[in-house]
Amino acid sequence: MKRTMKSIMKKTVKHWLLIPLLSLSLSGCAFNSIFINYPSQIAPVKAQLNTNTPMKGVEDVASNISGADGLLYAQEAGRVAQISGDFEASKNYYQQAVAAYLEFDDKATLSVTDLGATASSLFINDNVIPYRGPGYERVMLHQYQALNYLFSGDGEGALVEVRRSNQLQSSEQARYQKSQKSVQAMANGTIDAEMNKLGKAAGTVTSSFLNAYSYYTTGLLHEILGEPNDAFIDYRKAAQITPDNPYLQQDLVRLATQLSMPQQEEFERRWGKPKIQKKGEGQVIVLLERGFVPEKKSITIPFTIHGNWQTASLATYTSNSGAVSKGKISGLGKTLTAAPIANIDALAITALKEDLPAALVRQAARVYAKSEMARSVESSSKKRHNETDFAAIAMQIFNVVTEQADRRSWLTLPKQAQIARTYLKNGRYSLKLDNSPSQEIEVKSGRTTLVWVIDTGNHTRFYSIII
Amino acid sequence: MKNFKLIFMLAVAVGLAGCQSKVEYGDATEVETVNENFGSSDLQAITAKMVDSMLTFPPIVAMTLNDRPIMFVDKIKNKTSEHIDTESVTDSISNKLLRSGKFRFIDMTKVDAVRKQLDYQNNAGMVDPSTAISFGRQIGAQYMLYGNLSSIVKQSGSTKDVYYKMTMRLMDLETGLIEWSDEKEIRKVKSKSFLGL
Repeated sequence: MKRTMKSIMKKTVKHWLLIPLLSLSLSGCAFNSIFINYPSQIAPVKAQLNTNTPMKGVEDVASNISGADGLLYAQEAGRVAQISGDFEASKNYYQQAVAAYLEFDDKATLSVTDLGATASSLFINDNVIPYRGPGYERVMLHQYQALNYLFSGDGEGALVEVRRSNQLQSSEQARYQKSQKSVQAMANGTIDAEMNKLGKAAGTVTSSFLNAYSYYTTGLLHEILGEPNDAFIDYRKAAQITPDNPYLQQDLVRLATQLSMPQQEEFERRWGKPKIQKKGEGQVIVLLERGFVPEKKSITIPFTIHGNWQTASLATYTSNSGAVSKGKISGLGKTLTAAPIANIDALAITALKEDLPAALVRQAARVYAKSEMARSVESSSKKRHNETDFAAIAMQIFNVVTEQADRRSWLTLPKQAQIARTYLKNGRYSLKLDNSPSQEIEVKSGRTTLVWVIDTGNHTRFYSIII
Repeated sequence: MKNFKLIFMLAVAVGLAGCQSKVEYGDATEVETVNENFGSSDLQAITAKMVDSMLTFPPIVAMTLNDRPIMFVDKIKNKTSEHIDTESVTDSISNKLLRSGKFRFIDMTKVDAVRKQLDYQNNAGMVDPSTAISFGRQIGAQYMLYGNLSSIVKQSGSTKDVYYKMTMRLMDLETGLIEWSDEKEIRKVKSKSFLGL
């Protein structure tokens, strides 16, 4: 009798061990961020971006692209290459990220590999689930890819990416349309500042789940590549999200006048007459990106179930780390003050909030699964003698060590995006952001000079192109 | 224990089988439905429709009765949300038109290379001047072929609908008249499978 008991117990132990092993093998080589938290992997790469050798860490990041979290690493590698000014390399990396997203789209509703990953997340942690970025990251990916195409001189390719981000933007908009009144207003094309004021107090402003920077960038590309009508649509949406940006207001008035839109009068009444480009002048548009989006932190709560130690870890964002200052751009006649268009950190926080309910369900299931694992080991060995229960201790250690919060997110994104625009006479100008070293740009009459300024903290980079 | 071994063996077998890949030759004109993106079948359908339509259009038939008009292909503007090599589409179309024996073409993509070669022949001092082809003797095109490729993509839940429309036109460069125009529509619907890997 005793003997059969023992063998049954032995069997159950084996089975319990077998399941996590099998599910792990199903989810493939997803070991990257399972034990080493993601922000600490990317930290050296981010530090490198503040030096003169920004591309140094990119190889390490890119080597992970073939893994289960390839999407995330491809996004990071693409962004690092982009910040460094290697637009061709960046294009390649982003293409791999786009391919990974498309692969996710094509996956069956009930996918065996997804189920396998979810199953192993019950025994290990959420990091074994392949990374699938939140909506705003995917839109930004195409937005940045469009800029890559533009800066490598392929306007038609840039517009393809713009159309792709427009598609994703509208599906993001549709997601929130049901629940958020302000998004409904956006679909109607009205701009009401009142709604935003109300929302600000409640912390549910449109700008926390829709990205005005993406709308602005796609609008901008439409405009400078000769599709002002499409630009008007995107600018209007951007203005619905960020109504108080003076440059955006000017853009709207100018385009409404240029296209003789019915809103022209209303816009002029609100924001004044448009400043029209004079003869011999060229346009300068500045896109300014500052800082890095914050990292996810983890909270770990230890507790005991049936006398076995266990922990629960969840990802969170700590309270805001201070406001980003408005960029002062000098060297273009009078000093130009850039105006914020979007806070990427707010988008990141909302994305996490949305993800939380599902994460909590998985957490609860994991607590149960792990406590059962611990119990199954413990009861079988304790039955024999009252010796030190190594298996149970080992299982508890395994449970505690493997309990890691899912801290993955695209970390090389900027914290805030700002814009500025002005008209200047034909010629060469040396541009400066705050106290950065100066950078020479050229302005040609009747043309547009797009200047993309990326400030990563201790280092400012300028990229400009004349269109 | 026996069960355990069996499951283990199965897992290993499945794992190993997953690593195998193979290569096969296929038929180039076979209908391709790997995914809903613009593919070879679409290209072939567009080419066939456009060439057919043009060669059977009565005014074009009349125009090519006693003459082989000279045309050049301007690029096809890609207005879709995919990176499509539209040059490959125009290549296929001009190739078929040329093979019909009714038109002659000027290749605008090779103008620079030709200029370099003529420059070499005339100015390098390496070529016998009596055999050198002189500048300014090429024949000008009478017609321009151009087009647009646009798409509408809609997605909801597990269904994705892609619609392509290719419009092509033939313009008489002297008069500015459009001598021929046609469009080809393609619609593809993709529904995601419920169960799968």
